[in-house]
Amino acid sequence: MTENVRTSAVPAASGSPDPAPRPAAAPPRRGLRLGNTALGVIGIVGFLALWEIVPRVGLVSGRYLPPASEVLAALAERMTMPTFWTALVDTLAGWGLGLAIAFGAAVVLGFTIGSVPALRRFTASTVEFLRPIPSVALIPLAVLLYATDIRSTLLLVVYAAFWQIYIQVLYGVADVDPVAEQTARSFGLGRLSRVRHIIWPSALPYLLTGLRLGAAVALILAITAQLIIGSPGLGKEIAVAQTSGAVDSVYALVIATGALGVTLNVGVRMLERRLLHWHTSVRGESSA
Amino acid sequence: MRRKIFALTGAAVLVMTSACGGGDETEEGGLTEVTVGAIPIVDVAPLHLGVEQGYFEEHGIDLTIENTTGGAAAVPGVVSGNFEFAFGNVTSLIIGRQENLPLKVVSNGVTSSGEDGNDFGGIVVPEGSDITSPEQLEGATIAVNNLENIGDTTVRNSVEQAGGDSGDIEFIELAFPDMPAALENGEVDAAWVVEPFLTSSMENGATEIASNFVDASPSLTIATYFTSEQMIAEDPELVEAFRTAMHESLNYANANPDEVRRIVTTYTEIDQNLIDKIRLPNFPAEVDQQSVQTIADLMVEYDTIDEAPNLDELYYE
Repeated sequence: MTENVRTSAVPAASGSPDPAPRPAAAPPRRGLRLGNTALGVIGIVGFLALWEIVPRVGLVSGRYLPPASEVLAALAERMTMPTFWTALVDTLAGWGLGLAIAFGAAVVLGFTIGSVPALRRFTASTVEFLRPIPSVALIPLAVLLYATDIRSTLLLVVYAAFWQIYIQVLYGVADVDPVAEQTARSFGLGRLSRVRHIIWPSALPYLLTGLRLGAAVALILAITAQLIIGSPGLGKEIAVAQTSGAVDSVYALVIATGALGVTLNVGVRMLERRLLHWHTSVRGESSA
Repeated sequence: MRRKIFALTGAAVLVMTSACGGGDETEEGGLTEVTVGAIPIVDVAPLHLGVEQGYFEEHGIDLTIENTTGGAAAVPGVVSGNFEFAFGNVTSLIIGRQENLPLKVVSNGVTSSGEDGNDFGGIVVPEGSDITSPEQLEGATIAVNNLENIGDTTVRNSVEQAGGDSGDIEFIELAFPDMPAALENGEVDAAWVVEPFLTSSMENGATEIASNFVDASPSLTIATYFTSEQMIAEDPELVEAFRTAMHESLNYANANPDEVRRIVTTYTEIDQNLIDKIRLPNFPAEVDQQSVQTIADLMVEYDTIDEAPNLDELYYE
């Protein structure tokens, strides 16, 4: 309900001067939304049913793809074990800590470098060189520096998430409306005030997009590091189950990481919607 | 508070060790913290048993076993000093030594059972395969877990010994857990597998055609516990203590196969039924240096390395 009001309020506040189409647009939107939820549920059930049938009828050997019911049972059993929760917490720690470090560094560097054009041009080629280096290429370095310590995970996570956020911050800072900027200057606002009132609000949507992209990449890299290096977490549990030939457990853990990914993504999206809702409403008010 | 607890534990250990009349090289009454990097597989059962049986504590070592996934972290972990010791296969160490990495073998790790047809690793072919003996592997596609390592080296040796030509065998890299599926799908003609996948693939219809470790040597040392030269220079007493505790652990494991099968369930997820059936390796305390030399010579013969390193430098004595 409230979500609907909010989402439809965004286009209204940010531009459309005509309030008339709003109520007309709302009902079909709502119907679609309900339909989406229903379709989503049907999709999951359908997928699980397919997964249950394929190994049962022998299309794929159950030895390598156990039916969904067996995997879910293995997952349920695992969730009663403390080691599962320790691994989950370790994974969350690697993800959260890594993302926080990347976010902090990207925001500070992005705002600093982004707001000084000379500095930006000076660093551009280096950034373009470093950015496409895949984080997994740093695994040997991580192993050499930190072995199976959580810092190995952090190294990969921070490297991968940093660029996602940093580039967005740069775009955000560059996207500041020059008229607003010059108006602020002519009103005698200092550099810090301009950052606070002009640059920060216009960069915020970019920043949150960066955070959302960074959050997904951070989770992938956290699990990868654990899987390949053996730093603590769900990825390592998958690796142990794999070397033990415990196929049920491997799939159960893979599902757990997938569910974790969905949960984290929903969380970041909610945060984004909240912050951006605040942001657009403020802009709407000030421009009115 | 924490310091107090440490002090108390320290005091307690002091009292205990003096009560036992031990008086060994514990540092200021406390245990020395030591980290060992080891893959969670059957081969490292003695290490886990040793911790459980208290052999390491008796020698002043508070041992932490870091379960590394794959062997990727072992050598760099030791070279960088993150691990005091690690478990690694001999071919990796021979290659490392040849590249002048300062690695030293401290203790034996795991040795082939030496029984043809009843070893913990072997070459298997899928159900219904025409291949019945190693010389027929000429030109075949064979899965090994690592290229230019102990698998392809010993497989080639088995083929050559049976009178075949190993030159046009195509080795492909697959993780052990993926090999049974690759065999079943016909993606590979044969695979070199180790336990528990040897037993599980044979239960699913695969046939064992050779015990490649046994073909290479009657008692082939597969893997060892190693450390770095720096470590030996900095703390020779600790290295000595680890080696002694490791020897006790290996002897215990060798004498108690049921204990090995039991402890494996604590650090792996291998199915209990499977653990009861798998073939166990041997755990002698000493490295069979002759067998390591054989491997090094084979590696030179198959151009994995240009020349064999001086293996005397590989051992800590």
